[in-house]
Amino acid sequence: MPHIEPLEPAQIQDPELLALMARAEELGVPDGLFTRIVARVPVYAKVLLNALIVSHGQGNVDHRLKEIIRILLARFAGDRYFSALRSKKALAAGLDEETIDAGCGDYDDDPRFPESWKVALRYADQMYLDAQKVDRAFYDELKLHWTEPQIMELGGFIAFHYSMQVFMRTLDATPLAAAAATRSH
Amino acid sequence: MATDHEAVDAAFYDRLRQFYSDEEIVELGTFIGFNIGYHTFFGTLKFYPMFSPDGRLVSQEESERIYGAAPVSLKGRAA
Repeated sequence: MPHIEPLEPAQIQDPELLALMARAEELGVPDGLFTRIVARVPVYAKVLLNALIVSHGQGNVDHRLKEIIRILLARFAGDRYFSALRSKKALAAGLDEETIDAGCGDYDDDPRFPESWKVALRYADQMYLDAQKVDRAFYDELKLHWTEPQIMELGGFIAFHYSMQVFMRTLDATPLAAAAATRSH
Repeated sequence: MATDHEAVDAAFYDRLRQFYSDEEIVELGTFIGFNIGYHTFFGTLKFYPMFSPDGRLVSQEESERIYGAAPVSLKGRAA
């Protein structure tokens, strides 16, 4: 049981929040547990859930890359909850566990990833490992592969998902589905 | 939460509950998480407040001189 007890599903009646939960379930990230915890503050729950869904599931950066980045960050954060969840959309697009593990590992030497993906993975990797390295030269390198709107999309995505991961890791939460828990690192 | 998350354990949450409701703890936790995530990202972008402390619209160069090029990091504070 997480350190903050989730609300019972029947306690969530807000139609807007229920609609967002349905969208999240369709994507696969987050599952209902996150919402049932943050729904203790309903106005926060709606904003946070919507931002998680939109930043992850929409935009102009390949969703499979975002899914690898999300899991890389969750593993770095030590968050068992988000690191075990998987985007159904990314899996349907062909992303598999081997590629996820490769993207979270020595991606720089892996020929399956284009340079644009490697520099984006490094962006996420360095942001919370050593932010001093994400300097002007690093942004210049990013701009060789990505437009400025895409860089803002990546940066905002990285910051927001890491934000929720550092909160969830303190709750000692695990996904609702037992199958997902087995993927937790 | 930012520098030693393993210290934020069950006992820490029990201590928080002596002062705050579960609703307030969720509010604090998500707010703190949000700030940890975004301030680091914003820091890499090297931008500074648009206005000086006395309300003048200033250039980014002047703002950097006013507010400092190197804010104290959490890592530095923890050390």
